[in-house]
Amino acid sequence: MFEIIRNLTRRKLRNGLTVSGIVIGVLALTTLGAIAEKANYSIDGGVRYFRDHVSVGAAQNGGFGGGLLTVDKAKDIQAVDGVQAACAATGVSAKTDLDFSLSFGPGDQVTAEQPGCQQYSTFKLTYAKGHAIDETGTGQVVLGSDIAKEFKVNTGDTIALPRPPKKYNPDYVGHDFTVVGILDKTLTAPDNFAIVSFKDGQTLFGDALPAALRGRVDPTTLATGINVYAKAGVDLDKLAQKINDTVPGVSAIAPSTLVNAFKSASVFLTAITTGAALLALVVGGLSVVNTMLMAVTERVREIGLKKAVGAHTYHVLREFLTEATILGVVGGLVGLGLGWGLALGINAYFASQNQNELFLVTSRLVTFALAFSIGLGMIAGVVPAVRASRLDPVTALRYQ
Amino acid sequence: MAAIEMVNLTKHYKQGKNVIKALDGVNLKIDTGEFVAVVGRSGSGKTTMLDLLGLLLRPTAGTVIIDGVDTSKLKDGDRATMRGESIGFIFQEFNLLPTLNALENVMLPLRYTKKDPQGEARAKRLLTEVDLADRLTHKPAELSGGQSQRVAIARSLVNNPALVLGDEPTGEVDNETSDQLLDLMRRMNREHGVTFVIVTHDMDIAQRADRIIRLKDGKVASDEPIGAREGAELAG
Repeated sequence: MFEIIRNLTRRKLRNGLTVSGIVIGVLALTTLGAIAEKANYSIDGGVRYFRDHVSVGAAQNGGFGGGLLTVDKAKDIQAVDGVQAACAATGVSAKTDLDFSLSFGPGDQVTAEQPGCQQYSTFKLTYAKGHAIDETGTGQVVLGSDIAKEFKVNTGDTIALPRPPKKYNPDYVGHDFTVVGILDKTLTAPDNFAIVSFKDGQTLFGDALPAALRGRVDPTTLATGINVYAKAGVDLDKLAQKINDTVPGVSAIAPSTLVNAFKSASVFLTAITTGAALLALVVGGLSVVNTMLMAVTERVREIGLKKAVGAHTYHVLREFLTEATILGVVGGLVGLGLGWGLALGINAYFASQNQNELFLVTSRLVTFALAFSIGLGMIAGVVPAVRASRLDPVTALRYQ
Repeated sequence: MAAIEMVNLTKHYKQGKNVIKALDGVNLKIDTGEFVAVVGRSGSGKTTMLDLLGLLLRPTAGTVIIDGVDTSKLKDGDRATMRGESIGFIFQEFNLLPTLNALENVMLPLRYTKKDPQGEARAKRLLTEVDLADRLTHKPAELSGGQSQRVAIARSLVNNPALVLGDEPTGEVDNETSDQLLDLMRRMNREHGVTFVIVTHDMDIAQRADRIIRLKDGKVASDEPIGAREGAELAG
């Protein structure tokens, strides 16, 4: 093994450049993979989050208030066969400024659902700190892990929602809330949720209405959506269809439609990662092949000598394969280290700018990147190693 | 007892339509512990004979029998094993690995044979015998030509071989060093009882062997114990 390492250090520049090729490939693989992992986790979370209920909104081309949904629609939906609970909900942006941040996650939302509805959701929220809000009260908020970090607040703190604009805006209306709980990280939508009581949610929604409507409608009759939970064994897609068929003025979205949309995004991101892997394969692989072929050419006499003193074909094969694999391992470790460091650095920067993290370096990504680089070295080393092992000792010994 | 027997040993090469008879039906026996010099002009078949004896080449016809083993029947892997266990090589250009120090170079053949717990101790002892006890950790670049060839001699003996083959082993050093190396090889031959076969152009070197085999056009032109002929005649 020492000899192999010495052989590698004998041509420092050449092997350094080869390792650099692998480093670039694995760096690309790690960083793009970490972006894809982050997005895929959000997507998986979205799938889990949206799969347990039917989302109902106002019909686009009809209904009261040009698309506004009234709470009493929940009662109509409740009457549909197969519905266990129809819960009116509100969701408004937690920020009043336009958010141009680069983020794959849903935007920061202040969400609310009618009291007693959480029990129907299979997506259970757990608390890192504090406890749930009083669903019938006002002035309390539970924050998702990301939004709590972004707004730099802790349990017991008071926070104005929606967040005040950076520049003065005469239309801004904010309300103070006491943070009573912070959720565990879910890696999906609730990480960016500020959960308030339905009463507060309606108030915030009323404030967010266009100026022309404000004061003309009673916010306590309004909702932005209805979450419909089905009885056991009921197909949610069929239930959505049934709601659309029987309840006028609403539009129920089949969960499979949302899930499929998430999954196609996931396929796209996986394609990006695969592309990075292919890039690494081409850049790193070809440089390893080139380097190892040069090493074989340079060391023909050595190979001849080793065969003369008793080395079998497999000894020579193993030696060159090990050498190529070490190039892969070193390139992989350095590339992974740099990629990981870059991801942590950028994540830290985003956090300092109150933005969501962009990268997620998972154990499976680390394992894949390392396995990939080791496999790359080995595979790229096969041709040179076979060539070395098949050298005729007489020809090799007298090679000039 | 014959350590090595060449039976109708033949090696032909095709060069276009022509057949080059590098070695042509050679029959020879070399006894255990003999020190044999093979001489002859360029193209006489000396090196081909050495390659065949070293199992680096397969003969076109005939066979080499080493310690009773008919090597023509051995597969490539078995030939490699036999090279590692029974044959030592000394080359004109030393062929030391530049990344290994003297001791590691001597121990190189041990890598490819059965694990020998005494191997390192033997390698050190051999380096001491060739007067390089103080150069164990020196790399080839830090050794003179004579020192490098002494390392190669120690390497050729590290596996306790039956046979050591030398291809112009003194060809790269000056006369004085050449004499010293030959003294060393003869001493090793005596002390270790190992059979030496060396190929050389140098008649002074050849005359210090026990026996001189002269090849001409791939055949044995003469095979005499030393002293039976004058060196001048051999050169012809």
